[in-house]
Amino acid sequence: MDFLLHDLDTDGALREAGENAGISRATFLGGTVAGAVAAFAIVPTAQAASSGDVAVLNFALVLEYLQSSFYTEAERSKALRGKAEDAAKRVGAVERAHVTAFKGLLGRKAVKRPAFNFRGTTEAQRSFLKTAVAFEDLAVAAYKGQAPRLRSKQVLAAAVSIHSVEARHAAWMRFLFGVQPAVNAFDEAASKAEIERVVGATHFVVARPRTTTSRRPRFTG
Amino acid sequence: MSRRTRAAAGLGVVAACAVAGLASWLLGGADGQAAPYRPVLPPPPKLALNVPAPRALAAGAPVAIWTSVLRPATARARPKRGARPVVRLSRRTPEGSANIVLVIGHAGDARGRVWVRARLPALPNGTTGWVPRSALGAYQTVRTRLIVNRDTLTATLLRDGRSVFRADVGVGQARWPTPRGHFYIRNRLTRYRSAAYGPLAFGTSARSEQLTDWPAGGFVGIHGTNQPGLLPGRVSHGCIRMRNRDILRLGRLMDVGTPVTIR
Repeated sequence: MDFLLHDLDTDGALREAGENAGISRATFLGGTVAGAVAAFAIVPTAQAASSGDVAVLNFALVLEYLQSSFYTEAERSKALRGKAEDAAKRVGAVERAHVTAFKGLLGRKAVKRPAFNFRGTTEAQRSFLKTAVAFEDLAVAAYKGQAPRLRSKQVLAAAVSIHSVEARHAAWMRFLFGVQPAVNAFDEAASKAEIERVVGATHFVVARPRTTTSRRPRFTG
Repeated sequence: MSRRTRAAAGLGVVAACAVAGLASWLLGGADGQAAPYRPVLPPPPKLALNVPAPRALAAGAPVAIWTSVLRPATARARPKRGARPVVRLSRRTPEGSANIVLVIGHAGDARGRVWVRARLPALPNGTTGWVPRSALGAYQTVRTRLIVNRDTLTATLLRDGRSVFRADVGVGQARWPTPRGHFYIRNRLTRYRSAAYGPLAFGTSARSEQLTDWPAGGFVGIHGTNQPGLLPGRVSHGCIRMRNRDILRLGRLMDVGTPVTIR
């Protein structure tokens, strides 16, 4: 499968970002930080997911959070130029709409947005495009993997309608990055475990920093 | 007739037969014996969710970005290794919370590394510097901004540019003035035991330029008080004091990372 981030990371930019952050190569490729585990642990396990569409929808919502946060941060960084900048704005607007739609459908059952540290990939054109390709391919494979498990035809119809949009995004980002938009006659699906492993390996999902304490203030008073 | 012409004529006959056969199969034969192929398929199911329009980022809405220091790092005068050091950043504040900086710019160096220009909790007040992106954590955003006016002795909180909070404050006395400038909220302290600071305190990146030997570096806080009768006034060592009910209300509205302007 060609969507794996570390397969795509041919020049090691993402890995370098991880190593610059004090993360070893072994950890970067194989490990997960506590924050990543915590963020994905809020999604029910595969066994529980089979009992209802809610788990699948929440899994999709986490991926939509990942994508929408990525494009939003890229747009706000103002570091992108030309067609990449335009694509980030347009695709970001769509991913935010996906988040809104899923949250509206799930209501109080919707999982909360994790914190994401994109490690500079939103602030440099080439690493942005490379990561965007990976995210879009990942989303396409994830929707394909989960759609057959949905019981509700209406939910399935919604998932398919988003899946094709993600595929358009994947082709768009691939074109901008300079790789073939459509290579295969058939695409492979990816399991939830595969998706989690790939996302975990990026260390993009992190714990929120602790900014509240109960220590006695020592301000000037 | 040449071989090529005969082959073309043969293909034409075959194609004509195929088209006629397909038409007969689809539309029914002239004798009415072949059943027409008219499959009945149900309409597609309705979508389970409402599909909103793509959501562009709100134009002009002020959003501030802050991030935590993941590992000790040196902020530099320019986005380049070897540039003049400005200040050394630690991972923790004196209060033990994550040390954060306000993001105000980005740049890449010749080797493709990303650098972040940040507002820093350092003297002289207003110090900025370039920090390697790899030393910093997740970007967080806030839509609020606090303005403290030393002349009118008021604090005003803006959300998306609109006032949502206003209260009288106490500021520093003439010999220990509250510093003017652009700062940010660093942390939030609760459940401590100190009546003088009230029930809630926010740490800021502002520092007293006179009380530099004050414990923990003389940072300016925004907090409650056990002497509300002194407010509004120039009564503190540089901190911004509020009545306890006001600081509690502010605590419900203002997040860590909020930019603070002291005029």
